[in-house]
Amino acid sequence: MADFRLRVTYAMSGRLVMLSHLEVARALERAVRRANLPYAVSQGFSPHMKQAFGAALPVGVGGTEEIFDVQLTEYVAPDKALDRLRAASAADLMPYKACYITKDVPAASVAYPFSTYRAVLAFDDEGFAESADSSSSADSAPSDFGALAQRVASLRVPESITVVRKKKEKVLVPSDFLVGAMQAQGDALEFTLEAKKTGSLRPDVLLEAMLEGTGLHAVSIMRIRQREKAGE
Amino acid sequence: MTDLWPRIEGLLRQAGRSIERPARYLNHEWGCTYKPEASYRFCMTYPDTYELGQANQAVRILCNCVNAVEGMAAERAFLPAADMCDLMRAEGVPAFSLESCAPVAEFDAVGITLPHELAATNVLEFLDLSGVALRSVDRKESDPMVFGGGPCAFNAEPYAPFFDAIMLGEGEESLPELLELHRRMKNEGAARAEMLHAMAKLPGVYVPSLYDVLEENEAQRRGSWVVPRFDDVPSVIEKRLWEGFADSDAYEPMIVPFTEVVHDRLNVEILRGCTRGCRFCQAGMMYRPVRERSADNIVSAVCRGLADTGYDEVSLTSLSSTDHSQIEQILRRLNRALEGKGISISIPSQRLDSFGVDMAELVAGGKRGGLTFAPEAGTQRLRDVINKGVTEDDLFGAIDAAFAAGWRRCKLYFMIGLPTETDDDIKGIASLAQRAYDRAKKAVPENQRGNVRVSISCALFVPKAQTPFQWDGQISPEEAKRRIDLLRRSVKYRAVDVHWHEPDVSLVEAMMSRGGREVADVVETAWRAGARFDAWTELFSLDGWKAACEACGVSMEGIAQATYDTDYIPPWSHLSAGLFVKFLQRERRFAQQEKTTPDCTYDTCSACGVCMGLNTAIQTQEVRHG
Repeated sequence: MADFRLRVTYAMSGRLVMLSHLEVARALERAVRRANLPYAVSQGFSPHMKQAFGAALPVGVGGTEEIFDVQLTEYVAPDKALDRLRAASAADLMPYKACYITKDVPAASVAYPFSTYRAVLAFDDEGFAESADSSSSADSAPSDFGALAQRVASLRVPESITVVRKKKEKVLVPSDFLVGAMQAQGDALEFTLEAKKTGSLRPDVLLEAMLEGTGLHAVSIMRIRQREKAGE
Repeated sequence: MTDLWPRIEGLLRQAGRSIERPARYLNHEWGCTYKPEASYRFCMTYPDTYELGQANQAVRILCNCVNAVEGMAAERAFLPAADMCDLMRAEGVPAFSLESCAPVAEFDAVGITLPHELAATNVLEFLDLSGVALRSVDRKESDPMVFGGGPCAFNAEPYAPFFDAIMLGEGEESLPELLELHRRMKNEGAARAEMLHAMAKLPGVYVPSLYDVLEENEAQRRGSWVVPRFDDVPSVIEKRLWEGFADSDAYEPMIVPFTEVVHDRLNVEILRGCTRGCRFCQAGMMYRPVRERSADNIVSAVCRGLADTGYDEVSLTSLSSTDHSQIEQILRRLNRALEGKGISISIPSQRLDSFGVDMAELVAGGKRGGLTFAPEAGTQRLRDVINKGVTEDDLFGAIDAAFAAGWRRCKLYFMIGLPTETDDDIKGIASLAQRAYDRAKKAVPENQRGNVRVSISCALFVPKAQTPFQWDGQISPEEAKRRIDLLRRSVKYRAVDVHWHEPDVSLVEAMMSRGGREVADVVETAWRAGARFDAWTELFSLDGWKAACEACGVSMEGIAQATYDTDYIPPWSHLSAGLFVKFLQRERRFAQQEKTTPDCTYDTCSACGVCMGLNTAIQTQEVRHG
């Protein structure tokens, strides 16, 4: 049977950043069906759509360059496929690029081990009116952007972070996962993490550890880039 | 309307991982309707969390009905989970609708469906969280109207003081009527009391505040527990029936949730009503007469529904789907239409006597999970008493067909505590299940026999209003335990396991099912002491309910366990499902005589009263065969 593998790039934003990976996967599967794309179905006892997803994002973290692959049984022109997908998608979970990939291209979940995140921060007593999807009114801007930028620039990466995984405590060393230095840009922080075969450091876990006791919190966290190699 | 989203998002962010499943509160799902310009706004509520209520048919249908009216908008609301309720109270954030995240109290009217007997405290939790006075009499002119409906409306008394009006029966026409009346009178500047009085005159609408409640002796003497305060308010409220059901489009647009919910699939209602006449079954009594939608309608609806929603599973729902006169045709056509798409078709609990080899093949559709059948009683004698016209041959024939067609697991539902039940009947359950297991193994190739599983699932019988068993008391929890232990001891096979619902919950259910107006005080007292989410096993506390009963001077056991003569006037006699009392009394008499009553869709009329009294008729697509 002919095997057409379509790689779709989409953005997850607004309030849908609160969906879990499984919830996103389910939503994308349904969008493919609504788009009436000729998707391939697996053989066997429990037939399901042949769809593969990119590296998972934690609840609360959005992404601008997220990917999924879907196998089609027939060729559909990529721009046509994209149009149909877009018509069948929720605004905050919206595909914007589609192209066919060949068999030798690495699977979506491991294709891009280097993820760059951008976190927008705010002072604790101010932040909640300024959310990712609501239009901020003039009086919700931080009273002193300069002070905020200064505080952000002074943040330090902790030496180690203790996480609890499967009821056991594990110590992670951020410098093992961080690629390059953190960049402070006004009220935002940008950093790149590498997913390693032995495990990963979640961006929200890193931020939580960094922001503890600083009087700052993250208003939004987005994965803005995924790359195959560091420094691309 | 106020937009609470920024505050709610803030709460969710602040709470981080301590608030479970934030996707419950997101809305913006595929398929939701947003009519911000409509001036009359209705909030349709399911009194439990999003994942339990989102798939609810009533919420779906009624939102669609109201949104179809010009100038009206319907939004959904659910009860936030317990952790979120507490956080919202602490931060002063009120209960909100999903679509526009507006405070529930800002709506013109709020509708709450009453899906089962354990939702009462959640109703109060929701009203309290909304900032609306719990009792109708305490509401301000500016408070929304609070309407109730759904199955529990047929004994509305334990809920009565909390609702401005309660609707009986099908709401497709009656809800828009009620809201239209409200809108008109509100625009004219009518006072709340005036509006309630006008509502009470609408067919199928019960306005509790316009009735006086009598003491038991007086009630028995007068033939009703309530007396209207005005001459133009009816003494009996009859259910509404939607005549247009059979001819209407079987595709009811639905919302596709992001988060995992129960019954997360396309749901197409293929028929309403069931007249098999099982004497314990409230649904069978409430939704008469039987009305079927056509195969063309259903097949088309399934295809359109799947294309619209993107679901990979469709459920053909009704009280008894395999009884549809065209069910085989429907399944055949759907299996053909959906071939190779990885889509599965499911049918809720099949009737044993309409499940044969053909059915087994047709319902296969790829994914074979477990099969459930409900013999309900272990001996033919008791099955005849409850009028569940299913024989051992029916069960074994279904098992032969199902297991030969590839099924390996089967669940059998039974009830404990049915009227006239003896220990022999209990042992009969074990015997039946074990023989079913033997049959199942024989139907399966030798090398797969180890996978065969038959399980028994038992629930304590709860006498329900509007059924022939409404006068029968529930057995005590101690007696229930004794019978369940007897059952466990009687099951010898290791491959047959017995599951048992905690009887504590059933005791409260029975009180809510049969209680009168006095139970409403118990509900409020229980809620004030912290009862909520009673349907959640980890949050239910019988002690809390018992304490509330004591404080109110109400006997839970008295209400749940009392058995009456069939000439006793029950507290819901002013609420009618269209059945003649004589029919219910006669059915109870027949039960005692172990005499069965046939299904009127293919046999003689049993003069239940619905067709005659409501001027309606059975609608089947083709001739049904028994």
